Amino acid sequence: MPVIVHNDLKITVDDDGFLVNPEDWSETVARVLAAQEGVGELSEDKLDILKFMREYYRKHNFFPIVRFVCKNVHQPRNYVTEQFIDPVKAWKIAGLPNPGETVAAGKEDEDVEGI
Amino acid sequence: MAKFPKPEELSNIDFAPPRKGWMDLPVEFKPGMFCHGSKPKSLEAVGFPNPRDWKPADADWKLPENWKEIIIEGIAERLRKYRSFRLFMDICVRCGACADKCHFFIGTGDPKNMPVLRAELIRSVYRKEFTTAGKILGKMAGARELTLDVLKEWWYYFYQCTECRRCSVFCPYGIDQAEITIIGRELLNLLGLNIEWIAGPVANCYMKGNHLGLEPHTIVGNLEYMLDDIETITGKRIKPTFNRKGAEILFVTPSGDLFADPGTYTAMGYMMLFEELGLDYTWSTYASEGGNFGFFTSNEMAKRLNAKLYAEAKRLGVKYIIGGECGHMWRVIHQYMDTWQGPADFLEVPKSPITGTVFENARSTKMIHIAEFTADLIKNNKLKLDAKRNDHLKVTWHDSCNTARGMGILEEPRYILRNVVNNFFEMPEDTIREKTFCCGSGSGLNASEDTDLRMKGGLPRANAVKFVHDRHGVNMLANICAIDRATLPPLMDYWVPGVKVAGLHELVANALVMKGEKERTTDLRGEPLPGLEQKEEKAS
Repeated sequence: MPVIVHNDLKITVDDDGFLVNPEDWSETVARVLAAQEGVGELSEDKLDILKFMREYYRKHNFFPIVRFVCKNVHQPRNYVTEQFIDPVKAWKIAGLPNPGETVAAGKEDEDVEGI
Repeated sequence: MAKFPKPEELSNIDFAPPRKGWMDLPVEFKPGMFCHGSKPKSLEAVGFPNPRDWKPADADWKLPENWKEIIIEGIAERLRKYRSFRLFMDICVRCGACADKCHFFIGTGDPKNMPVLRAELIRSVYRKEFTTAGKILGKMAGARELTLDVLKEWWYYFYQCTECRRCSVFCPYGIDQAEITIIGRELLNLLGLNIEWIAGPVANCYMKGNHLGLEPHTIVGNLEYMLDDIETITGKRIKPTFNRKGAEILFVTPSGDLFADPGTYTAMGYMMLFEELGLDYTWSTYASEGGNFGFFTSNEMAKRLNAKLYAEAKRLGVKYIIGGECGHMWRVIHQYMDTWQGPADFLEVPKSPITGTVFENARSTKMIHIAEFTADLIKNNKLKLDAKRNDHLKVTWHDSCNTARGMGILEEPRYILRNVVNNFFEMPEDTIREKTFCCGSGSGLNASEDTDLRMKGGLPRANAVKFVHDRHGVNMLANICAIDRATLPPLMDYWVPGVKVAGLHELVANALVMKGEKERTTDLRGEPLPGLEQKEEKAS
């Protein structure tokens, strides 16, 4: 499996770039993953989104509905998409497991041009 | 991966036939045109054969040694079991009426996507093994040996058919191509040759009750979020019930409506309608899936998943079932369920508690489509509707293949639409009703790795939408299918930017005037309602 090396950190990800061990996640890991995804700096707002997603996944064993993430972090309804372009990227940077094809294809605003 | 081609590149389709005969052209696996292979854990979950890691593009598919025997015996068994299959193997005269009716042929120009030729892939083997002429004359009689290349060709092309049945409308013999694809996929599944986008949801549904694998507290939680939104919009707090014994009606909808936009707006619509009626209904967190990806796997798997709906209806002691806006769910219920598991005599013939209408069409299955239910309400003047609330939308109607061709639900949604929106424009007549064009991603092909195939297959549908978009300014594509709600948004973004997608009951709920609601300022999506600003100006 691919390993991303960043200073002293070794981050194991799967072929699609998803964190293999969710407990490896930290804000530093998130910054490294964000750089991999071309998302850039992680602002406080973005970190709030990621933390909410992690907490939601821990409770529900599933990914949150995108627009309800926005509501919970007190932002406009398209906020996640504006910040991360693709919600799947946000899940990835939040250290959530690979959703597989099923969920990823069901999410909104699929970016065909970017494939 | 290479950059996805622009629409003007993708619509440049080569229809020139190849120089060689089709039997002499081995299958070529083109990236973007097929899905990932099924994962072992998904097959193991339902006890399917040959679970292993494999990749469709690899030379070695890790098949059992006697794979050919398994397939030939599988064909023999199905010829005995299904008269339809036997008939469809024998009666085609290759007239070609179906050839240019398939969205995949129109979108790719690949002759093996002509329904007649796709069926020949399997018929040629049938002739070789099961007909005297084929055994003796071989290729001259259109027969050929089943080889690994032939098997791979089956896999590639039976997962390039969405079982939409448009071709069957034009067949003078009434051959149902979907039935051939269904059997083709059944045979492939005997060797563990599914795609993960089908096998994964099947495993989820079998274990957790729905394709997405939503657990009970997540289902409730997601609906609670939607109820918060409904309260913001209408001022009304709705309190639906879950797994409630003794409810009159069990309501079942595709799990996509519980997770992904725009399906979530449709789910809000259902709950608002039922609240306004005071309907005695319950959700189930066990039978929490209206769709049936088992149907894209094998008849047996479809039957196993369908059993849950009726087991739950029996357990809860409801009178009958109302199903939400799903496509293939209705082909299963309308055309297969009754011989698999029916008649569901422990339930009652559906009768609307609001209008008293008895749904005779569901006398045996005891399950009605929500479009039938709502059309009857409007017909009997039981809903207060303000269509002006949808005036920001110019709507066209996409007939979902399975509800339209498979079940004949053509008038009900149109009747509802005409009552809830003021701007409704039909697409050209050869692209709607029984002749509707598929979204290009049905029957489990809605993955991300086959986007090329999906955009090509969706071109005819998108082209018809573009026509009404250009001519009338249509900006909303309405439908009653959860796969449509997942697949049409990216299709529109690619071919017809500016057109959004909505379930029918989102539009119903926009227009629905609810008792005691506050004055609405937005639609279900939070978009400002049209004309409201003018009204405010007048008031001041």
